[in-house]
Amino acid sequence: MNKQIPYYVMLFKSVNYALKAEKILKAEGIPHKLIPVPKQISSDCGVCLRFEEQYRIHIETNLYNKVEFEIIQQYSW
Amino acid sequence: MSEIKIVNATGLACPQPVVLAKQAIETSEQVKVIVDNETALENVNRLGTKLGCEVKSESKEGGVFEIMLTRKSGVPLPSENVNTSCDSSAAVSGPFVIVCSEDKMGRGNDELGSLLIRAFFHTIAEQAERPDIIIFYNTGVRLTVQGSEVLEDLKVLSNKGVEILVCGTCLNYFNIKEQLDVGIVSNMYDIAGTMTRASRLVSP
Repeated sequence: MNKQIPYYVMLFKSVNYALKAEKILKAEGIPHKLIPVPKQISSDCGVCLRFEEQYRIHIETNLYNKVEFEIIQQYSW
Repeated sequence: MSEIKIVNATGLACPQPVVLAKQAIETSEQVKVIVDNETALENVNRLGTKLGCEVKSESKEGGVFEIMLTRKSGVPLPSENVNTSCDSSAAVSGPFVIVCSEDKMGRGNDELGSLLIRAFFHTIAEQAERPDIIIFYNTGVRLTVQGSEVLEDLKVLSNKGVEILVCGTCLNYFNIKEQLDVGIVSNMYDIAGTMTRASRLVSP
């Protein structure tokens, strides 16, 4: 597994925003995963949502004006 | 890639194989360690993992094992001393066990608790040091059935060789035995026995 696969993480100002965003994505049936914030981004004990590139637009459209968020691209290997 | 350093540790008793392997990997990017017993195999494997190396082991003819340790590029070896003694070895004293007695992590707030348990199993599934066995009982068994938010992570762990024991009485109590999707239905003999012989018992 040496291939780097890009994915995105969506960061929130509070855990409550993460939960709210997750509820919206669940209701819409958009694949995502709640994970701890990767260590390289922050050492805080936070959670974020991980998703694949193909869902980015769909996710952003659904959360726009509902939850404050920030998206960062990551690589896993 | 620099050449592979070969350490022949056959015939050597613990902790020699680990000590030699550690010395070798400090000066070479890639080391092949040859050992002739399972204890040494496990100890060298564990050393490799602790040092952040990629570890691959192969069983050869005549009870010999070859372990290939490869340093990940750009990742320095941990500067602190890694214990090479034998009695700290988990293999000698019992398995590393995670016990999950609830479908949440911690008490006080259920919404937060279920968020934390998901983050917990995601992390366990990704980290190099994996448990040998995970036990689920009481509401913890809900994590192992269809629709569970941590199912994907538990399957990853199961595929990597982590044994997953699920309390049958509990599945029966919640009437969800048919929905079990990972692990094996277990009983109190196995659960109590496993917990008794565990070298480490971690409960989220």
